[in-house]
Amino acid sequence: MSQKKPQMQVEQKVPENIVKKNARDTKLREAVAKRRTERLAANKTRRAQWEKNAQAYDNEYKAADKSLVDSLRKAKSEGGFYVPAESKLILVVRIRGINTLNPQVRQTLRLLKLRQLHNAAFVRVNKATIEMIRKVEPYVTYGYPSRAVIKNLIYKRGYAKINGQRIPLTNNNIIEQQLGKVGIHSIEDLVHEIVTVGAHFKEANRFLWAFKLRGPRGGFIAKRRSFINQGDWGNREDLINDLVKRMI
Amino acid sequence: MTSVPLVSVFSADDSTKVTAKHIPLPAVFQTPIRPDIVSFVHTNIAKNRRQAHAVNPQAGMQHSAESWGTGRAVARIPRVSGSGTHRSGQAAFGNQCRKGRMSLPIKVWRRWHRRVNIKQKRHAAATAVAATGIVPLVLARGHRISQVPQIPLVVEDKIESYEKTTDALNFLKRFGAFEDVQKVVSTKVVRAGISKQRGKKYRVRKGPLVVYFNENAKLLKAFRNVPGVEVVNVTRLNLLQLAPGGQLGRFVIWTQSAFAHLDKLFGTYRYASVLKDGYQLLRPLLTNPDLARIINSNQVQEKVQPAKTTKVLHEVQKKNPLKNTKAMDRLNPYAKKQRAAATAAIKANTKGTKKIKKNKALKKASRAAFNKVSAALNDATKAAVQEEQDIKVKYFSVQKGAAQAE
Repeated sequence: MSQKKPQMQVEQKVPENIVKKNARDTKLREAVAKRRTERLAANKTRRAQWEKNAQAYDNEYKAADKSLVDSLRKAKSEGGFYVPAESKLILVVRIRGINTLNPQVRQTLRLLKLRQLHNAAFVRVNKATIEMIRKVEPYVTYGYPSRAVIKNLIYKRGYAKINGQRIPLTNNNIIEQQLGKVGIHSIEDLVHEIVTVGAHFKEANRFLWAFKLRGPRGGFIAKRRSFINQGDWGNREDLINDLVKRMI
Repeated sequence: MTSVPLVSVFSADDSTKVTAKHIPLPAVFQTPIRPDIVSFVHTNIAKNRRQAHAVNPQAGMQHSAESWGTGRAVARIPRVSGSGTHRSGQAAFGNQCRKGRMSLPIKVWRRWHRRVNIKQKRHAAATAVAATGIVPLVLARGHRISQVPQIPLVVEDKIESYEKTTDALNFLKRFGAFEDVQKVVSTKVVRAGISKQRGKKYRVRKGPLVVYFNENAKLLKAFRNVPGVEVVNVTRLNLLQLAPGGQLGRFVIWTQSAFAHLDKLFGTYRYASVLKDGYQLLRPLLTNPDLARIINSNQVQEKVQPAKTTKVLHEVQKKNPLKNTKAMDRLNPYAKKQRAAATAAIKANTKGTKKIKKNKALKKASRAAFNKVSAALNDATKAAVQEEQDIKVKYFSVQKGAAQAE
């Protein structure tokens, strides 16, 4: 089937398969264009929502800071004391390698997502997790992360576990697809969930792969000793932030 | 398929003149090209011309060598007996020894020849013939056929009666086949390696293959001395000539009667071969090779799923949002405002300090405020220290009192 040369009166005959292909291609192109415009419109509303949420969280954080300061001042002025609530969140960092580990310790570290040296993970504080951390204390250092550290960890070192793969958090679609059904649509939502240890902390934390940090710039003091004994392992409360800033 | 590919037969004297137009191509030329079969058959058949050779069975063993055993600070290899010569006490017999026999000496009863199933051999020959009719394959094999008027080249039977080599040469020149012969001549090189001393001095390429039919044809002698040209009867087509080195696409020149005989030799898709008992040409896997037509047919397009996106999540390179503003804005649209607010605050602050530096009065006022605060702090510290001292005095006086009491 070949195209005839165009003549004066006779119309050009186009082969049937080409006609069909053109029809199909135009239909596909139209569908793609339609999907694109829909997607762009949807994105616009989504981005507006993300911004709104982020602003709300920002105000919430500022309010929380302010209320803490106010409480401290008030207590001082009254001559009493203000003890802020104990942290609900712990950041655990593994400081020992993989060799010659007690099997129970090995297993517990695995359960805490700390499979590798300098891996860090968020852990909710409750009786069960406290016991787990106590079991692995000489092999980890942990403390109460500040909001800035949490944010920086998730932004810079944040990877998701999707289908067993470690996927970088490059855009909010990744978060939306996995955590949309629990109300976490953007990275700021995720940060907020971790910071406040919200109702869906479990899903949010499970979504996150362990943070693979570098060794601390400036080094450890003495990994063989506990933090209390001028070493490194165990609970170092707020000072975990200084360490992690050197490791991010 | 209603249409059949057609071939013209050329006049032997004039390459522009066609003596018979539109002869249908024999069915052999339609067989599927199976380089795998050809390769297999070729590697085996190529072994069949080998002549037995072996090493001398006594080589390296013509000593009465015996091992000295242990305890003499030498290796336990058999050593040449006797004395009075350097050779005595030297190692012998082993493949690792100098002047020793080789390991696994070659025997004449090595299996030199290989048998191949007849059907495979026939399929290979059919494929090789088919490949001679495909221009890209012949070109790829390296034949210089750009001036040849037609592939497959079929010429009238007159060339079978050529007796003189000049006639043969002129014929090749007329049909553009001489370029191939020239290639053979110009690329004749002395062979690398020892075999040049063993009767294989030159490496010569293959040129055209002339295929004739009549047994008392004289063209063998005419073409014999033309370098690179081989002549063969169509009933004795040889895979080693049709696909030299296992490579398909020899340049073949057929005579008209040889060409016509191919259908009887190999048969067609309708009739089995007459001369090869029970042989039927290989059938192709696809009856309709027009893939574009198959893909675009209604039957296929109805079932087809929409194309998937090929973007894979893990292939996106991660950019650090804390440093890369675009990456940050993609993740957090509010970040832009935060940055703007931060820079504004810095600007406001610098404006403030500049103002103070410029305005001495303001400077004085801020100094005064600072002094006031530090004075208050000093007083508070002094009071605390005094209080501590008082407590200490009280404590020690109490202790003294208790000691005195005892």
